[in-house]
Amino acid sequence: MAADTSTAPASLAFPRATFAKLTPGPFLHAHLKQSPPIRPSGRTLIECREPQITTGSLTHSHGSAVVRLGDTTVVCSAQGEILNASDTPSPPDADDGDLLETLGLLVPNVELSTGCSPAHLPGNPPSTLAQSLSWKVRTLLYGSDLVNPKDLQITFTAPKIDEEDDASVPEVKAYWTLYLDIMFISLDGNPFDAAWLAVMAALRTTRLPKASWDADTEAVVCSPALEDYSRLTLQATPVTATFAVFSTANPLKQRSEAESWVLADPDTSEEDVCREAVTVVLDGSNRVLGVEKAGGRAVGKESVRECVELTFGRWKDVNAMLP
Amino acid sequence: MPLDTSTYSLARLRLDGRRAHELRRLSAQLHTQAAADGSAYFEQGNTKVICTVAGPSESKRRGGANSSEQNQDATVEVEVNFAGFSGTDRRKRARGDKRTAELAHTISSAFTSTLLLHLYPHSTITLTLHILSQSGSLLATCLNASTLALIDAGIPMLAPLAAVTVATTAAYADNEEEADVLLDVNEQEEVELPFLTIAGTGEGEGVRVLVLESRVQMGRLEGMIAVGLEGVRRVRGVLDGIVREHGERVLEGKVG
Repeated sequence: MAADTSTAPASLAFPRATFAKLTPGPFLHAHLKQSPPIRPSGRTLIECREPQITTGSLTHSHGSAVVRLGDTTVVCSAQGEILNASDTPSPPDADDGDLLETLGLLVPNVELSTGCSPAHLPGNPPSTLAQSLSWKVRTLLYGSDLVNPKDLQITFTAPKIDEEDDASVPEVKAYWTLYLDIMFISLDGNPFDAAWLAVMAALRTTRLPKASWDADTEAVVCSPALEDYSRLTLQATPVTATFAVFSTANPLKQRSEAESWVLADPDTSEEDVCREAVTVVLDGSNRVLGVEKAGGRAVGKESVRECVELTFGRWKDVNAMLP
Repeated sequence: MPLDTSTYSLARLRLDGRRAHELRRLSAQLHTQAAADGSAYFEQGNTKVICTVAGPSESKRRGGANSSEQNQDATVEVEVNFAGFSGTDRRKRARGDKRTAELAHTISSAFTSTLLLHLYPHSTITLTLHILSQSGSLLATCLNASTLALIDAGIPMLAPLAAVTVATTAAYADNEEEADVLLDVNEQEEVELPFLTIAGTGEGEGVRVLVLESRVQMGRLEGMIAVGLEGVRRVRGVLDGIVREHGERVLEGKVG
């Protein structure tokens, strides 16, 4: 709701939309000054938009998800391709913990230049935001040990020829490489949360065909039977939450006079006027996978703790919603 | 061979269970992106395309002294992006890909003759198509999606453009009686059979776009075009229905 005219001093009467366009900062401030504070979209400070997740819409991909977070819509497709062990420079041990990262078996890519918002017109090379989102998703994928390396290995056990031979050790002949293409159809703030949710939903519903090594043709063959497709066993459930901080701090005024508000799940109009952001990544009820804070000095120890607490609540909601 | 199964001549059913003149499921949504001037999402079976329109906006080209002599009308620029996950293999297309350029040029010239471009001199209308999934009839789906997006953007046109593909079953001469014309081909049929894409306004017998890239018997062509125009009429009816439904929803939202 717009600020009451009874409490504000009588001034030029603007329609609400004009006020928002001309001075977005004071527009947001006027909402947050109310008691209780409210945001222009009608949400409270800690209220996040409820995501809508649809999976399996893409026919050619092994897994896909479409996530709608308010007006932000993102499509993620998980496509598996075979990488022969003979094509890798030096095949790592099967027990190597960094197997996925060494071979680069998870390849996310965020596509923002689709006309999803006026700031991302099509035909341009990936912007800084797109590149940093790809990097953040990649770091989280590898850092959270989400995918079990055993799921992505295609092994071959040579049959015993003589009675005296010991049972041969299964040898890794090829790997599945998962290409995660994340494409934004429309963007209304908080791209990282939407992208990560789409990645999680896509990976949870990814079904890879049963692949085996054919010794005669020396190639990997996949079984076309649907019953042989198997899901990935995901070892974690990371959930992200992004907060934007709106502050009235001004270099011309006293720092002690500045007020600040932490807004959960910001949309574009709020992101444009906030100079600070906090991203918290949690896994389960007691593992913190990452806390990232960028810019500004309004958020201190207590505020970060509150953000982490809010993210715990969000983890429960999102975990229940994921397929 | 998608039709060379014993069941086709008996039951006249295609691989996906359709009869010869049945269209696939068409569905669409208008105004999917609030940030664009016009946008539409169009599905024809499993072929899914998103089209966004930006414009008319100021043209980057600056005419010199010759501009008054040359054509002052607006130009239509088309850009086609294939998502990596659109085909069976994950393949990122190079930007200067010739096939993509040809597709863009066909769409651009189709709309240059349909839109009322003289109303927007010295400006550019940019159409961006994102192919999310390819399953046959790509050019037809792109044309239909572009029509809806242009209607959503409010750019005036002579008549909406509706497009469809037709194929013929018999590839050899001495099978005239068996030759069936199939409407709305999917990707398996596109690979095996000669097919053409035809677009028109859905009224009268005018053909606006006709693209045929495979060899077909001369005598079959007229039959294919006739069935194609009938298909175009039906697709035009579907597009009209989609636009009207969207209009009703918009009015309900505004008027309440």
